[in-house]
Amino acid sequence: MAGLLIRLKFTLLGHSATGMRLLGIALAVLGLGLTWFFALTAGSDDVRADLLTLVFAVWAAAWMLGPTVANGTGVLRSQYFALLPLDRRRLGALLLVTMFFDIGPALTLVALAALAWHALSVDPAALLVAVPGFLLLWVLVISLSRLVFRALGAAMHSRLGMEIASVQWGLILAGIFFGWMAVQPAFSATLSLSENGLGEGAVGTVLAVLPTSWPVLAVQAAAAGSWGAAAAWLGALALLTGALVAVTSVLLAPRVEARGVRRRSRPLGARPLTGGGPGFSLLPDTPLGAVVGKELRQWWRDPWRGLELRASLWAALFIGLLTWPSDQFSFFTPFAGVIAAFIMVLATANMYGHDGTAVWLSVVGQDRGSVRADVRGRQVAILLLIVPGATLMSTAFILATGSHWAWPLVITGMAVFFGVGSGLSLLLSVVALSPGVDPQLRVDANDTGDNQVQVWIALVALPVLSAPAVLAAVFLGLSGLPWLAVPVGLLNGALAAWWLGRIAYRRLEARLPETFTRIRYSKAIALRTVPEDGSWLDRLERTAIAGNAETRPTGS
Amino acid sequence: MSDDVPALELVGLTKTFNGTRAADGVSLSVPRGAMLGLVGPNGAGKTTSLSMAVGLLRPDGGTARVLGSDVWSDPIAAKRLLGVLPDGLALPERLTGGELLDYWGRLRGLDRGVARARAEELLRVLELDGAEEDSVLVAEYSTGMRKKIGLATALLHAPKVLVLDEPYEAVDPVSGRVLTAILRRFTDGGGTVVISSHVMALVEQLTDRVAIIARGRVLADGTLEDVRGADATLEDTFVRLVGAREVGEGELTWLAS
Repeated sequence: MAGLLIRLKFTLLGHSATGMRLLGIALAVLGLGLTWFFALTAGSDDVRADLLTLVFAVWAAAWMLGPTVANGTGVLRSQYFALLPLDRRRLGALLLVTMFFDIGPALTLVALAALAWHALSVDPAALLVAVPGFLLLWVLVISLSRLVFRALGAAMHSRLGMEIASVQWGLILAGIFFGWMAVQPAFSATLSLSENGLGEGAVGTVLAVLPTSWPVLAVQAAAAGSWGAAAAWLGALALLTGALVAVTSVLLAPRVEARGVRRRSRPLGARPLTGGGPGFSLLPDTPLGAVVGKELRQWWRDPWRGLELRASLWAALFIGLLTWPSDQFSFFTPFAGVIAAFIMVLATANMYGHDGTAVWLSVVGQDRGSVRADVRGRQVAILLLIVPGATLMSTAFILATGSHWAWPLVITGMAVFFGVGSGLSLLLSVVALSPGVDPQLRVDANDTGDNQVQVWIALVALPVLSAPAVLAAVFLGLSGLPWLAVPVGLLNGALAAWWLGRIAYRRLEARLPETFTRIRYSKAIALRTVPEDGSWLDRLERTAIAGNAETRPTGS
Repeated sequence: MSDDVPALELVGLTKTFNGTRAADGVSLSVPRGAMLGLVGPNGAGKTTSLSMAVGLLRPDGGTARVLGSDVWSDPIAAKRLLGVLPDGLALPERLTGGELLDYWGRLRGLDRGVARARAEELLRVLELDGAEEDSVLVAEYSTGMRKKIGLATALLHAPKVLVLDEPYEAVDPVSGRVLTAILRRFTDGGGTVVISSHVMALVEQLTDRVAIIARGRVLADGTLEDVRGADATLEDTFVRLVGAREVGEGELTWLAS
């Protein structure tokens, strides 16, 4: 049975896009090289032991984050097998087994085998401990990876779970933006690492208690002749691995409750039509008002959208908190709100991909101005959702740190980034849209489409389009007139929001059926609808179609 | 508009996917007030043809007209006259049925009071009002409920022509009768309905016209009597035109063991 599933997995892999996969394999090869480099060049046995604990921890962290950060669905989804007459637990365990058969895990195994080399050089007898040690560690690391991935998917079924996932994502994003602050000292020391090891210090102490270090400690104990301690470390590792495998198998088993588990409380903002609720609304009685209302509800209630939106706020908060105590970077603390605007663009740049085939409503409901209302309404909704939080955050950080000099710069920055950002996110949502698993079939946290192309474009385009206001803020700030930058920021932001939104709705209006085709049919068919040597928008669209990994609407 | 303008006209609709002709010059003409059943085996090109007829999929060749308005050169006029129910597509999943209809009505330019009154009535008639009182989201609807709310979105702006892809699939018999009553009222009032289905008995009982489509081509099109001709049932006609694979004496014997 396991063999059958593994063959199925490779068959499916053979039919899917490979961009992200190749990147993952490249990183694993790099990691493998570094691991053995450290193992072979370590100055002494103790240094090598130190380094292995560090390297193993990094492997575990990479396996925990990698599959979640990388977009794309799991290859074998447990629902495929829900109807087989198999015990659910057994199926979960079998699916876990298939995870070990791939290039990434194979490379990892070879890397972890550096422990055997270490044992050989300290005391060949310690191999008795090292071999089961690194095998157990391998099982632990791969299971942990699956556990984190599925736990996040399971979390998407409750509001609290989604919130926890948002905090995790916020931390990851903050780490990507400013984590190098913390890593930098360690990084600059890397060159001397293979000479001196970690030395005495907090890092070494923390590493020593991590389970990824236990096999190393077992080898050290065996080499020192205390076989009891070695057996204890190894036993603890085996117990932990067993527990992890058990929990992961349960999480990998197909969910059997109905797709539509009903909540006990009303969804946020619900006013049942038949319940005789208030007959008025704060939103205007127009197509634009209708779209804003729909979008606000979807952002509040959809865990997949909520995750992206709230993660940008959490990330900004963490960046503010991380930079605050630092001498070098506390300059950035008041700008948390501006950073939230920046991340918002990255998080919302695939809205039509998010909606999936629901775009058919916009196609068959096309009327004079309806597409314009749809694009403008989405722009308004994301601003309504994120501007208050971002403003509050920056205000709080300025007041708490007493950096009142930052007021004009923060206001300018928020005005321009939110303006440019709301236009850019819609333009990318239309032109570079990338469908994921269709909304009614989503299970895992990254079932929404791949958006790497949008992210890279936004990273470049946002600063370029905001350049007038940013330059004005820098030069007027230096000449002692920072407040004069505020009108420039407002104008820059408003113009960009208007202009980019206009390009977006005109493009969408002209290509409604093509947009539907893009979501409903495969990459190859979508590519045929875009001229090869067309406008810059056509080229952008081709880049996005070709560059983003393909997800089938049903998740295979 | 003269009475002899067809309600829905498909003119030589053609679409090729990856070298396969999903629709190969599909032409149909549906007179006003008619109810047409579009039948065909799985993969015959029913959904592809209907998608091109309602503006969801751009044809490689040919066009479609709704009461004389061309879907591809004058989409707004044509789409105002059309009500569409596609099969198996997503909706704004995190709205309740009522919120979806409220949004949809206002987007289609209905006055809020009118949209609200019609939405309430549709929810009641389609028996979705209980779910609405509990604020059940579309994402939590069953397959049959999804069909029904989809039908409500197709009806809300009082279109002249309804195009429904597999409207009876997953709908329980009681709701099916309600659906039939709605469609009959619609055609009695001069509206035109096109439904696709692969259930012959249903089409035979419900519609007055039928078109048979297979391998992307229209094999027969006309009134039920004309298409059926000398055959006893529509199924016989269908099998005669499309061809059937009989299960031979020696095949699948293990199923009886």
